[in-house]
Amino acid sequence: MLFSSVEFLFRFLPVFMLIYLLVPEKYRNIVLLSGSLLFYAAGEPYYVLLLILSIFVNYGAGKLILEKKKNTAKNVLILSLIYNFGMLFVFKYWDFAAEIANYFLTEEKMPVLALSLPLGISFYTFQIVSYLFDCYRGKWKEKADFVSFAAYVTMFPQLVAGPIVKYEEVAERMKERKIRAKAVESGLKLFSIGLGFKVLLANQIGTLWNTLMSAGPGNLSPAAAWMGAFAYSFQIYFDFWGYSLMAKGLGKMLGFRIPRNFNDPYKSKSISEFWRRWHITLGRWFREYIYIPLGGNRKGFFRTALNLFIVWSLTGLWHGASFNFVLWGLAFFLLIAAEKKGFGKWLESKKVIGHLYVIVLIPVTWMIFAITDIQQLFRYLQNMVGIHASNVIVGSEQVMRYVKEYGVLFIFCIVFSTSYPMELYRKYKQKWYVIAVVTAIFCFSVYEIMTGSDNPFLYFRF
Amino acid sequence: MKRIKKIMRSCPYLAVLLSIWLFMTICGIALIVYRDYGKMKWGDLISNPLFAVVWEVEKKNNVSNFMGAESVMVKLPEQAAGASNKRLVLLPDAIGAQIGIRVEEELAKEEEAQAVEEEMETEKPVVGQTVFVEYPPVATDSIYYEDVGKTALTTEYPYTKVGEDYFKDAAFLGDSRTMGISDYAGLDADFYCENGMTIYKLLGEKGVTWQKTGEKVNMNEVLQQKKYGKIYIMLGMNELGYGDTEYFREHYEAVLAQIREWQPEAVIFLMANLHVSQEKNNLDTEFNNININAKNVAAASLADGIDVFYLDSNPCFTDENGLLMSERTFDGVHLYADNYEIWKNFLMEHGVVREPAEQTAEE
Repeated sequence: MLFSSVEFLFRFLPVFMLIYLLVPEKYRNIVLLSGSLLFYAAGEPYYVLLLILSIFVNYGAGKLILEKKKNTAKNVLILSLIYNFGMLFVFKYWDFAAEIANYFLTEEKMPVLALSLPLGISFYTFQIVSYLFDCYRGKWKEKADFVSFAAYVTMFPQLVAGPIVKYEEVAERMKERKIRAKAVESGLKLFSIGLGFKVLLANQIGTLWNTLMSAGPGNLSPAAAWMGAFAYSFQIYFDFWGYSLMAKGLGKMLGFRIPRNFNDPYKSKSISEFWRRWHITLGRWFREYIYIPLGGNRKGFFRTALNLFIVWSLTGLWHGASFNFVLWGLAFFLLIAAEKKGFGKWLESKKVIGHLYVIVLIPVTWMIFAITDIQQLFRYLQNMVGIHASNVIVGSEQVMRYVKEYGVLFIFCIVFSTSYPMELYRKYKQKWYVIAVVTAIFCFSVYEIMTGSDNPFLYFRF
Repeated sequence: MKRIKKIMRSCPYLAVLLSIWLFMTICGIALIVYRDYGKMKWGDLISNPLFAVVWEVEKKNNVSNFMGAESVMVKLPEQAAGASNKRLVLLPDAIGAQIGIRVEEELAKEEEAQAVEEEMETEKPVVGQTVFVEYPPVATDSIYYEDVGKTALTTEYPYTKVGEDYFKDAAFLGDSRTMGISDYAGLDADFYCENGMTIYKLLGEKGVTWQKTGEKVNMNEVLQQKKYGKIYIMLGMNELGYGDTEYFREHYEAVLAQIREWQPEAVIFLMANLHVSQEKNNLDTEFNNININAKNVAAASLADGIDVFYLDSNPCFTDENGLLMSERTFDGVHLYADNYEIWKNFLMEHGVVREPAEQTAEE
């Protein structure tokens, strides 16, 4: 069930909220849990069993880790990690690994399973792993009760595409939470704005990207190729940011504080800064559970470089099981390693160059991300710098038309990529005119959903 | 009551949304009751968001917008790939070819052709034959289509190879695929097309985008005012999930008759809808080549080989299984821009030049 679907907006959400608000406080977690499972089962009627199994296994593991002595706890932790990452591997990476293995073995030793990817498995696996690690490190003494843990894993606002919440961020609210009318109100507003970003910006600009890709990477003039790269950059940003805002808004309505996932990434001055502002909870996860345990940057440059290499290869792979994602991760490894070596300091000092560097490079990295076929990817990148193997078919004539058609939308996207609109919103959100604007956004979004063709979220793939 | 007032005051946004919803719902119910009283089902009233009915008409027009609804990133690639591996892909063309060609000669058509022949005793015009290749149909379970068990080939006719000038007085009517011809084939013709266009909407009041200017024009007016020598129609994709094939055929026939009435001298080409690729050929939904083929056969059955011809460009772009070749498409539905050169050549090889007929008309 998509947030931007009629079923969610007008069936699930109102009914769920009504029940959630009416039941006595002590039943809220169980209502939340069952609502979330229902939400998930609507999209994944079979894999919901996998999710439930995961909850039981990991609740048990967490309990053992908290209760047992250090050594046993460690073994349990290792076993549970094997279970979690094993599941992720089988469902997400098996075929990719089989493809590589069979290539090197030159025969079909490893069968291809062709399993479909359970919705949100990458997200909930990471969330569960953070919980287990935190148990092991003794972050909290008091253990979670089963319903709280299950509700934490399945909470529908963030189940399928994050943010990746840590248990400590919801622990207190799991025990006790007051639902205030004000919070419902402001959560709903945030949700509406996120919906608007998704439906009115991401989907719309996405059609330009689709048009260009349908015309074919390889046939584009440099201007068209860059236009496509910018269009996709905006699409993925508003798509994912919109989703994260909706999650945050829904969390607020339910009485939780879901952490921020985006902090105006496109106004960064370096790639390292970009990743501190983009998909913040994922970066945090890799930092806290991989990079720092490996030694972080405290063991000399080469160890730091190796750690960065590991983190970025994994970040790339996390986004998808194919070579372009590996390439994408490695590109960030190189850029960030260079920035750590001193380039970053220099960039920070030269403001304009820093911004230009991000604005030029990030769309290129998004192309590596977006085009999964390596051959096509290179053709597209070649087009961006004006190398063409075949005739340019999408040239100035089409570009002029796209400028006319999408120019205004681009301006909106640029404006909303700065921090000003949200600053203004926060300042005046109680004013009647802001409410009018948000209402308009909501109504237009619903209109688009009803009449147009709505696209699911890009991040549901992972 | 006081409490509700208080909540309303502290949650103005929620209050606004709820009142809009309430208002729209009441309007929706009123509309249904007013319009459909007697034949409505009570289920309609509780069908998803109540106010949806206000937009019902609009929604129907946009049903299964192929370009959008099925667009690129949409399908989770892992799932799509997994699904298609498991499934047997149907090969209407290939099976048909193996079984052998059986020409289905339609008596009615022959009679018609004879009548025409009698009319023009002096000049014996060649009457093209549209050949249907039969194959054993596959069982389907859909309200939108069934396997028609035959596929149509391009109308047989001594076509003339023409130059680009030929298209100067041509009009193309179609959906997003025709947009592709408009955008990338470099033909100097009038293109009336847009994403999601259907045979049901073609002559509608909302109009169609005239690609030359980008404005919406009403095809009723255009086709009555301008005279075209050739009219190319390619529609059927966005109709896959709306009404069944018979419904489609009826409307197609009506639209065709209307256009012929307005443009009696034009040669009309009914172009086959391109098949989709393996990834998009989803037998669980109505978006698949069996359904596309059914729509194409419906269109082909309207070709008379005199004024109306059926052109199937699928052989240029599909593999031996009738699937759109994956190296020719990004989304499995639309061709890469460089393929339109091939399509253009295909169209240029299939020109119909009827000078004798025109002369008789002038005399």
